[in-house]
This record gives sequence, structure tokens and C-alpha cells, in this order.
Amino acid sequence: MNAGGLRVLIVEDEVFIALELECLLEEAGHVPVGVATRSGEAIALARDLAPDVALVDIHLADGPTGVAVAQALSAQPGTTVLFTTANAKRVPADFAGAAGIIAKPYSERVIRAALAYVAGRYHGGVPTEPPDGVVMARGPASGTP
Amino acid sequence: MFGLDAPGLAETTKTAPAADEPFLAAFRASAAPMVMTDPRRPDNPIVFANPAFCRLTGYAPEEVLGRNCRFLQGPDTDPAAIARVREAVAAGEPLQVDILNYRKDGRPFWNAMTLTPVRDETGAVRSYFAVLSDVTRTRQAERALAREKDGLAQDLEARNRALQTALDQQTALLHEVDHRVKNNLQVISSLVLLKARRARDAACRDVLRSMADRIGALATVHRLLYALSDVARFDLRDFADEFAAELEAGIDPDRIALAIDVEAVAVPASMAAPLALLVHELSVNAVRHAFPGDRRGRVAITARAEGEGLILEVSDDGIGLPAQSDNPEGFGRDLAGMLVRQLRGSLTFEDLEPGTRARVVLPLVPPLAATAGQAPGQGL
Repeated sequence: MNAGGLRVLIVEDEVFIALELECLLEEAGHVPVGVATRSGEAIALARDLAPDVALVDIHLADGPTGVAVAQALSAQPGTTVLFTTANAKRVPADFAGAAGIIAKPYSERVIRAALAYVAGRYHGGVPTEPPDGVVMARGPASGTP
Repeated sequence: MFGLDAPGLAETTKTAPAADEPFLAAFRASAAPMVMTDPRRPDNPIVFANPAFCRLTGYAPEEVLGRNCRFLQGPDTDPAAIARVREAVAAGEPLQVDILNYRKDGRPFWNAMTLTPVRDETGAVRSYFAVLSDVTRTRQAERALAREKDGLAQDLEARNRALQTALDQQTALLHEVDHRVKNNLQVISSLVLLKARRARDAACRDVLRSMADRIGALATVHRLLYALSDVARFDLRDFADEFAAELEAGIDPDRIALAIDVEAVAVPASMAAPLALLVHELSVNAVRHAFPGDRRGRVAITARAEGEGLILEVSDDGIGLPAQSDNPEGFGRDLAGMLVRQLRGSLTFEDLEPGTRARVVLPLVPPLAATAGQAPGQGL
């Protein structure tokens, strides 16, 4: 993790949610590196930008493709995936490689806490407790150094 | 006339003792069809048949005597049943079997037959004695019953399938609606927060932020409601825990301490949203207005079920209601009053000197059940 916080890719098809998330991330000291609204775009952006974290909604502009996106992105070394979804029931038992699920509707506090936790656990930041409001994967998620 | 020189039968054996006469007469008079064969003669032919046998099969006595019993078989006779008879005869063992036989005119009948080997004093089989019984009606009734049962079972299965399909559709629809509600709440919250970020005026920003907080309280309700399998109930403690975490994130913990003591009260889903908003308004009011400047203090939120009702209290050790002059609009308190009315409860404020206690007492019965369907503003 660099001094400017985590580099975060937002995979979200709702434009207002994505925009507000970008503002919130900046406010929390992170760097939003891009927004993808479709699965192909998300995978291409992640390849080019190599983000520390990807916040991935399950329902995207091209359908419920977020699970496949999580699978592809979590296979990328150095990228930790967190689902942000109102449909946690769609997440497979192995979390598709993601480190956790942030249930929608989430609050600013939960997003901040989840990113602080990911920074501490996977990206050399200060360790923190996993926040309430976030379901963390049991096993070691990919992205582990 | 029904038996031909069958050994041991008085009618045909002149040497037979007269003591056998009553037995022979009984066999002939019996209403049960009977037949006897002699296995020592070639092809085990019939040597005796009583009138009941002739009535059942339609053959005259002279048509059956001297013939093997297989003339009773026909095209639909089960080969397995025939094999069982053959094996029993070969082994000299008794047998009970249901077999499809045919009358002389070709009409089939179900024959429940008892076949008994009759042995002489040396143990050798002297004859086979068969008692026949026409069970066609019973078999037909059984088959009709079985068909009816199968039909009912199929019916039931079809209905179960239809019900399961309807249930699956309902569940899918519920998930879809749940997903949309939660997603829309996130969109609404994002919109308000975006506007708040862009507002230049601090007061305007505060108003928008406090609206976003209210939307957040409703959002928490929806997230919790659909997280459980029972979508008709809502646990007030789960909400209070999450709400307290949100409230705590917005205050300086060194200045204002939060104490939460909320019982696990099951609240009807229709009351969840107004109740959550009520907790939000009373608590935020206390946190925002009871401690002006650098004043330190404590806010306690307690709730418990008592009888059919819920008692909710929010207390602070702040400056007291009369002194709270920085809240000229008093929107939060107005909202609290309206929500309590909607929930058909009562709200009282008590001066704790120092501080205030807001006390809410409300019935834990869904408005629909209490007012028979005309409750306005149904929350969820």
C-alpha cells in the first residue's frame, strides 16, 4: 500500500452509488482508480490498473456477472475483492475468491472500516478488527501477500 | 358320475369301505369347486370333479375327467403362476396360488386355488386335491382401488408440484423485490450524500446529512428484515447494535458516552421502519442538542418488552429541554411525536436535573391487526 491509501477499482452499474463511493474513498484517504459498469470492462480495467482493492457489485449492466468478475479479479496477484451487494444470497460458498461481502444498503462507516481492515490484513497497513456489517471469508482470500 | 375309478373314492371303487360314503357325498354337495387328480397316471389326469367345479368352469364332468388341469389355462394366465403349480406338484408340496383360469366359453376368472398332496400310509402321493375359489370380483375391486389410489397419488403429486412452483416463484419475487428495495435505498442515500458534499452552505449540508442518516436507519431496517428467514419479524436488538455503531462513528467518544441496553424484542415487520426512525430521532436529538459546546455526558438507550407493549427510553445528562435553544426548528422532536402517534403509543419527556428522559410506551401489535386494515402510513 502506498502512502496515498489503497488504490480502489469500483465495479458498480448504478452511477450515483459509484460517484458517491468515489467521493467517500477520497475522503477516507484512498485512491479511486476507475469505475466499471460491465464485467468485461471491469476485468480489462483491473488488468491495466492493478488495483489493491476492487469493490464489486453482483448485478452489473450486463447481468449478474459480478461473481465472475470477482473470480477473475481475485486471481490477479495483489488485488483484494470485496463484494458490495444487496443480494448476498448470490455469492457462492467459496466467495468466488473475494475476501468479504459488504451488504447493501451500507453506510459510509462500514465502507471505511472494511477498507481499513483490508489495508491492515492484506496490504501492509495497521491491523484492525473486521468491521460489523461485513461478512469476511473464512479461508485466506487471494491477494494475501 | 363325477369321478372315474379314482382309488380311494367309494363311488368308483367297489372295494372302498362304506365309511368313505359320507365324505364323498359331502364333497359332491359342497358349494366349493373341488377337483382331484392322480399323479400315478400319465399326465396327472383329473379323476374327480364335483358339480360346483363344473358350474364354475362350464364344462360337463365327462369333458374334464381324464384330462390334465392345464385346459383351464389361457392366453393371459401368468406363466410364473403356472410354474409355481408345476413346481409344487413336482415337489409334492401344498400350494396356495391366485391364477387366471378360463371357462369353457372363454371367459376368464381369477382362481384362488388351494392345492394339497394327499399321501398314503407309505408317504407316497396318491392324489392331488384342489379347492378352487372364484375371486374375480375381489380382484377387480382391488385393482379398481389400486387404480384410484394411483390416481390420487398422481393428483397429489401434481398439486405438490404446482404448489412448489408457486412457492419458488414467490420466493424469487421476494428476493427480487428485496434486492430492488435495498439497491434503491443505496441510490437514494448516495444522491443525498452527493448533494451534501456539493452544498456550500454548512446548514444545508447538515440538513442533507441528517436526512441521509434517517435514510440510513431505514436502510438498516431493510437489510436486517430480509437477512432472516422470517421476513415478518424484526429484532430490535440487532437494529440497536448497528444503529449504535453508526451513531458512535459520528460522535467524539471521549466527550459523549453511549450506553445501549436493548432487549431482543421481536417487532412485527410493519412496525420496524417507524420504530427504527423513532429510536434514531430521539437518540440523535439527545446527542446533538443536549451537549452544546464542549459539554461532556452520557446518552443511554434502553428498550424492553413489558406485557403486550414495548418501553423505549432515551436518557441524557445534558442541559435539559428548556435550555436547548440551538434547535429552533425542532424537526426531530416533531418527527418523534408523529411516529409515536403512528405507532399508537405515548411519548413523555421527564426532567432528570440534569438531563432529559424521553419515554415511549407502545403496543407491540401490528397496526393492521389492531385497526382492521385502515391504518394510514403503514411503515413498510
